[in-house]
Amino acid sequence: MSASQRRSAVSSEKAREEDRALLRRYHEGGDTTAREELIERHLPLVRSLARRYAGRGESLEDIEQVGAIGLIKAIDRFELEREVSLATYATPNVVGEIKRHFRDKGWAIRVPRALQELNASMSGAIERLTGRLGRSPSIAEIAEELKTTPEEVLEAMEVGSAYSTVSLSTGPGGDEELDPLETIGGEDEEFERSEDRAALEPALDRLPPREREILRMRFEEGLPQTQIAQRVGLSQMHVSRLIRKSLSIMREELLRLPPGAA
Amino acid sequence: MTELPERIDLEAPLSGDFQAVVRLIIGGIAERVDFAFEEIDDLQLAVERLLAEAGQVGSVHMSFEVGEASIRTRVGPLSETAVADALRDGDAPPGQLTLRRILQTVVDSFGVEDAGGGAIVVRLEKLKGMP
Repeated sequence: MSASQRRSAVSSEKAREEDRALLRRYHEGGDTTAREELIERHLPLVRSLARRYAGRGESLEDIEQVGAIGLIKAIDRFELEREVSLATYATPNVVGEIKRHFRDKGWAIRVPRALQELNASMSGAIERLTGRLGRSPSIAEIAEELKTTPEEVLEAMEVGSAYSTVSLSTGPGGDEELDPLETIGGEDEEFERSEDRAALEPALDRLPPREREILRMRFEEGLPQTQIAQRVGLSQMHVSRLIRKSLSIMREELLRLPPGAA
Repeated sequence: MTELPERIDLEAPLSGDFQAVVRLIIGGIAERVDFAFEEIDDLQLAVERLLAEAGQVGSVHMSFEVGEASIRTRVGPLSETAVADALRDGDAPPGQLTLRRILQTVVDSFGVEDAGGGAIVVRLEKLKGMP
């Protein structure tokens, strides 16, 4: 083993021990800051796995967001008696979540290149116009800025966000990869769950910290997207998509939670 | 000369495949009133969240009354009782993200009407902001 290989092995063993210490703090002591730290530490793994699925009709950021849900599930489900590292345990969870997402949403949609390009240039145009006008621009103003028609701007707005929202009526069924916990529950439990349907709160902590913070700013502080975008350093379009996606993911998660967990 | 408000009626399948189409139509209607990008996004989100509660079977009726600086939307009848309860309840407790809280944030006003047989119609109103 070379010196650099030895250094890498030592550092990877150190990281593994740190992970286990954090997992113990979270699972045995209920320390949620340890959970947050574990999420942050393993986001690079999620990004790396998400990149494998880029270019299939969904933005890399969205794939990363879905992958992060898989990571959070892995952290929550990890059993301390396991001999495997968290990264090893999380990898199939992250990949599984991404694959399920693509399958569920039917990402076979092909978006015309011209619309993709228009969508890509819209974000910058909105930022420029917001700065220039001191308010959110209208569709006509965006169209003028990009020398196109309002109809094309509207179509381009849908590009990249063309996922379907999850219905409350969508239940388990026909999915061979479902966790057995997801399929148990009698009539009463189903009814109980339906009572929780209008409250998304129980699924909130399944989201990555950045998305939780964006939802908090939007729905608790009542900040407009433009201000949130400035605070988190993203474009307004990106904030809009994260909000919509997060709400859909939360709804989806609420349906997947075992009865009584909500 | 056309008298305001103008009204557009839409019957759309509830299956997820058509939600993007509904968003596009709402965008087109809101663009006629010169809503800002963010205001359009808010109205689309409100309708999208309601439709997500409405199941996947059958279709839903939506109407849009277009005023000089507002859009009044009616969605329903919806038969999901949990949605009706959530929208009729008082303010959501602090820190809770409910459908009611979402609608309170993204539209200027909303209300629930009985449509008979336990079903409801949800009214949403979005006003154009000041330029």
